[in-house]
Amino acid sequence: MTRHHPDTLTLMEYSAGNLSEPHALCIRLHLDQCSHCRSRVDTLDSLGAVMMESQPQVGVSSDMFDSILSRIDSEPDMTEQYISSQAKRKSPLQKLLGDNLNDLPWKRQLGDVSVLDISERFPGQSEQVVLQKLAAGGKAPAHTHRGDETTIVLQGAFADQKGVFNQWDFVVLNQEDEHKPVAVGCEDCITLSVLSAPVKLTGTFTRLLNPFIR
Amino acid sequence: MTTLDQKPARAEGRKDPWSQMLEKVGKNQDRQAYHALFEHFGPQIKYYAMANGLASHAEELVQEVFVSIWRRSCLYDWRKAAASTWIFTIARNQRIDMLRKMKRTSAEMPVETEDLWQIPGENEDEPVTSLHRLMSERRVRESLSHLPEEQITVIAKVYMESKSHQMVADELNIPLGTVKSRVRLALNKLKVILQDQNV
Repeated sequence: MTRHHPDTLTLMEYSAGNLSEPHALCIRLHLDQCSHCRSRVDTLDSLGAVMMESQPQVGVSSDMFDSILSRIDSEPDMTEQYISSQAKRKSPLQKLLGDNLNDLPWKRQLGDVSVLDISERFPGQSEQVVLQKLAAGGKAPAHTHRGDETTIVLQGAFADQKGVFNQWDFVVLNQEDEHKPVAVGCEDCITLSVLSAPVKLTGTFTRLLNPFIR
Repeated sequence: MTTLDQKPARAEGRKDPWSQMLEKVGKNQDRQAYHALFEHFGPQIKYYAMANGLASHAEELVQEVFVSIWRRSCLYDWRKAAASTWIFTIARNQRIDMLRKMKRTSAEMPVETEDLWQIPGENEDEPVTSLHRLMSERRVRESLSHLPEEQITVIAKVYMESKSHQMVADELNIPLGTVKSRVRLALNKLKVILQDQNV
């Protein structure tokens, strides 16, 4: 599966603006640190621009430009405000999780593993978004994955039989990828994972069956 | 006179008139240039909105995009993106933003659209190989005209109708693998796939 960098098809769905919010966050965090992928996204954004220009065009109403101008005139200092708001901008990760990842209300799971479910920070999204922490030098039990699981390393590094994953590395795993990650280096390894939604059955009859299907 | 010698590599990017105009808007709040951009890109953005299922909000989206262009034009740097690419990313973000706001219940959204989808050239500290970016847009435009129709159709559905590869497959009634291979063939020609691993 995809390792270290997102694959081009995923980057294309990102560039087209079609990814879910948590998924886009993983890509964005990676892009901030990876000039190689950023330049691929630049080309894909250009592709979007060229697609837009090659499609049919639809005339806009004649008075629209005037209403845009009057909107601009009614908020004269917006440009300056915009620049200062950009300067004060926090990184998406800081906004979401604060300054210190180690201080989050982690829930100890098995042995060296702690987790924190942050799905509710993405209202209206069907995916599960989970932070996982593997204590420095710690081992996670061998496991596989339900559906596709997209992960980005936020802190530290982990290794499995396929390689070493450092900060801002990107990895997608699925049911076929059984692995046994180990936190390497002297820091706890913290990752952000987006799990594709588990299949939910609906309807009165299947709802009764649902608990047994899990 | 020295005028004949004033055609260094920089002039390359200036060949694109829209980037020049956008720069005038950013530097001098030039309303004539702004109007020219509106005439050129407004109808494209309106179609983009309609193709995306925002027919009843299409003009609203065009307005939001242009207000946003005005506000942030001071940050526009032609060396970092051609105007059309920059404007496409603003249209895309405003479209996402509009849909998010429509779906929003009372729950607050800690992450803004722009935290997730970046506008090229903003929030970047390093001056990356800018010429490469401008070249890439020209290359994309040229290569696209040589692509077979079936590849363009698939890409258009992804970009213009916000369809996932799976949705495109369902709609065209072809296997997902076929959609993906058409996209890959196209991107190969566009040289987007450079050092892809395991693809």
